[in-house]
Amino acid sequence: MFRSMLEAFLNLFRPIRTHRYPAEEITLPTGYRGLIEYGKEACIFCDKCEKVCPPGAILFYQHEDGDKEYRYNPWLCIYCGECVRACPKPQEALWQSETKQHSAVKEEGVNEGWFVWEAACKESREEYARAKKAGKIQNKSEE
Amino acid sequence: MKKTIQIPLGSQHISLLEPIRFKFECENEKIIGVDADVGFVHRGVELACTRSFEFKQVGYVVARVCGLCAITHSLSYTLAVEKLLGYEANDRIKYLRMLMVELDRIHSHMLCLAHTAENAGFEALFMQIMGDRELIMDVQEAISGNRVQFDYISIGGVNRDMTPELTALIHKNLRLLSDKIDALIGLFDNNWSLSLKYKGVGVLSLKDAYTYNALGPLARAAGLATDVRAETNDFPYETLGYQMILESSGDIHARNFVRLREIVNSMEICRNIIDNLPVGEIQEKAKGKPNGEAVVRVEAPRGELFYLVRGNGQNMLERVRIKTPTFSAIPAMMEVFKGSEYADAPAILASFDPCMSCTAK
Repeated sequence: MFRSMLEAFLNLFRPIRTHRYPAEEITLPTGYRGLIEYGKEACIFCDKCEKVCPPGAILFYQHEDGDKEYRYNPWLCIYCGECVRACPKPQEALWQSETKQHSAVKEEGVNEGWFVWEAACKESREEYARAKKAGKIQNKSEE
Repeated sequence: MKKTIQIPLGSQHISLLEPIRFKFECENEKIIGVDADVGFVHRGVELACTRSFEFKQVGYVVARVCGLCAITHSLSYTLAVEKLLGYEANDRIKYLRMLMVELDRIHSHMLCLAHTAENAGFEALFMQIMGDRELIMDVQEAISGNRVQFDYISIGGVNRDMTPELTALIHKNLRLLSDKIDALIGLFDNNWSLSLKYKGVGVLSLKDAYTYNALGPLARAAGLATDVRAETNDFPYETLGYQMILESSGDIHARNFVRLREIVNSMEICRNIIDNLPVGEIQEKAKGKPNGEAVVRVEAPRGELFYLVRGNGQNMLERVRIKTPTFSAIPAMMEVFKGSEYADAPAILASFDPCMSCTAK
């Protein structure tokens, strides 16, 4: 019992194990798996990252003129890095940084906004495919 | 007149970490019957694996079955798929995978010890063990890049390599932890008030362990020599200093001791892995699509984890069946409750290391 009381007394002078989290920033270890970042110039739009992504956090929007637009949801992402490994140009077009994503707030419309975008991407693809098909048929009939 | 009273424990209770409901039939303080309901956190992972995700993505899905043994789940699934693809990993990959599993075992056992202490009424010991556990969590975070969801193992290898700084960190933290585990062993063995709560409480006899198919530390505490690490040869455990840890009394004290001694053994294995890490690639191409059926058993921290994967040569799998050790431990747990005091129920429950998200999936 005396030993435990001595231990308890000594604990007063030992360093504190916990972090004062919101007041003090937590230091992330080197090599922390953070946000996926994207370089538009190097991207060849092969859509490989979109296909391998387990939660479907990367989507491409198909514009009518044939261009594609990259969109990424950092709150859906599980930071596994599978997209970076699938990318034909890693470090240039797609890479994993060490920055941590801040928590989502209501204004960012994390759920609803993303669902709208998801539906829009799907629709844009279908429309594009339909337009392409119609164009082909038209070309054929003209020939 | 009815002699017994019914006392419910859960689905929300101060001693429970996750929702599980027990209905105890008590006669004074003695429990004479028990009924358990474990399905509160069912998420339909098995169905999602076959409907929503392709086989290359499923490894990341099954890792979400359980936060503590994430690495064992993804490892078992990956091994099963690699069997179907006819691919065998090189030694470096095997060693790195083993290292993560053993680190996982250390911190999972420490969590269980902490909760056993807490549920027996020793909050300070709980805090102390959880604080020491951070040493291992830090190592795992440094290796895999994330604290809980490691996503370290993928089909065909592992995602990150070992560096000299990591090796130094692992050696340092294991050395620090080693002293603390020695102190804990002394504490769990000699402390008088801990022995009141643990010794002779919640006894699972060898015969019961055999009948009710107990596994993992639970069975080894009762003297039943069952360990997948010794039974399969997917990993070179024998060469890296693995020892079967057996106790005979089968009470909470024995379970705690199996866990403590396994931590010591796992630390030994980790050191051996780090010192004898072979040279080689960490990621190799595993081509093809899974066709056929494969069964894999891996020793998770809580016992034998069983995976069945069936594919038909397409991107989507036909069936993924997961049998978790916590689910298999429930019949034995119900048996142990019968005949013990109601006040001991939380400590017994914690000593079985229940994980409801594993159990219900």
